[in-house]
Amino acid sequence: MSEKTEHAPSGSAPILEIRGLQKAYDRVPVLKDISFSVSKGNVVSVIGPSGSGKSTLLRCASFLETATGGDILYDGQYAVKGGVYAPKKELNRFRRLFGMVFQNFNLFPHYSVLKNICEAPLLRGADKEEIRERAVSLLKKMGLEGKENAYPCQLSGGQQQRVAIARALALEPEILYFDEPTSALDPELTGEVLKVMRQLAEDHMTMVVVTHEMSFAHAVSHRVIFMDGGYITEEGPPEQIFGNPQQERTKKFLSNYQK
Amino acid sequence: MSLLTMILKMSEGLGKTCAIFFLTLLFSLPLGMIVALLRMSKNTVVSSIVRFIITVLRGTPLMLQLLAVTYGPYYLFGANVARNKLIPVVVAFAINYAAYFAEIYRGGIESIPKGQYEAASVLGYSRLQTFMRIVLPQVVKRIMPSVTNEVVTLVKDTSIAFTVSYQEMFTIGKQIANSQTSFTPFIVAGVFYYLFNFIVDRVMGRIEKRLDYYK
Repeated sequence: MSEKTEHAPSGSAPILEIRGLQKAYDRVPVLKDISFSVSKGNVVSVIGPSGSGKSTLLRCASFLETATGGDILYDGQYAVKGGVYAPKKELNRFRRLFGMVFQNFNLFPHYSVLKNICEAPLLRGADKEEIRERAVSLLKKMGLEGKENAYPCQLSGGQQQRVAIARALALEPEILYFDEPTSALDPELTGEVLKVMRQLAEDHMTMVVVTHEMSFAHAVSHRVIFMDGGYITEEGPPEQIFGNPQQERTKKFLSNYQK
Repeated sequence: MSLLTMILKMSEGLGKTCAIFFLTLLFSLPLGMIVALLRMSKNTVVSSIVRFIITVLRGTPLMLQLLAVTYGPYYLFGANVARNKLIPVVVAFAINYAAYFAEIYRGGIESIPKGQYEAASVLGYSRLQTFMRIVLPQVVKRIMPSVTNEVVTLVKDTSIAFTVSYQEMFTIGKQIANSQTSFTPFIVAGVFYYLFNFIVDRVMGRIEKRLDYYK
């Protein structure tokens, strides 16, 4: 294993491990050599300038993009080994381990809130009554009680994003990815979404969050990864990254956020 | 010939006009989807062939295509011209309209944001489930105005069947006009088409309204 975290429970494989990951678009490298791992119950924030490869990293981990090299392991098992993907069937099995929350929510506009949340579990054979109950209680947790029959277009951006979080949680993923979940929202709506994410962290949900919300990353994450130019140039506990960054690039980037 | 007899005689052809109309829709709407999917195939040989066929079907007159389907077999193989002209008429119409519908479907499918596919993928939808449950319902809503356009045009295009003397309403009207040296049958035909499309417009409007429950 390329690295350790102070939060890793001893003896168990990290839920996600990435080793030497590479991704290039038409020979233009976006991810050059990314290695890190996430243990159960940890929140890892990924920060860095635009174009540094943060989103691409999440998109590779969730199989939305095809990595060109390196390994991706879930629960200690290879999903990608040396840039070679496991067979489709196995990838589908790995897909059940993670959920994803997108910048643009990507709710299904023609479905009610309830159907947005319930359909995927139902397609996987969940019990109808059970999943309905779970959806209702998830909505309650998201502060969206009574919105079951609303359509996404009737909701604010912040509400839509919380429905998207509920939709991801309904499948009971082991790890949840957030790809700039508040970048499409104004500050007020951002607050609503960060609040439920904070709550998830308190419930020990394993999360990887690509974000520009530095105060959230500082307060909630166990570990912060700073990316620049396709590399992880610095990583450590939030106290170190935000309080005493070692790299010039990190200092320069974070100085833009000082208010 | 009195106006009433004219109207009654021409009404006898309305059943055949409706037959062309409904059978064409019945076959061209699904056929168009198959053509659209082939047109979007990742196999460039398949997609270019289909693309070429679509340009021919859209770039030449329906009347010419109808003549080709009806009399082509006779000139090419000496086969008998079909007794029941409804068959070549519907074949020609269905193929021609499938080409137009295919392009409408393609536009609709390509307008669905990539994020919808990505969300479905992460949620574990299969490709077929993604298409049938997520993409297609949204496509249907988006393309309704264009489809209405085509359906309205189809009502009027049924008159083209007169070129192969299929006894639909317009063909009968044209025969009366010739024998009576009167323009009145054309006015009657115009009124018939207008009323037909009035109903089509209402029906399509109602369908569009039913799809209005989301933005």
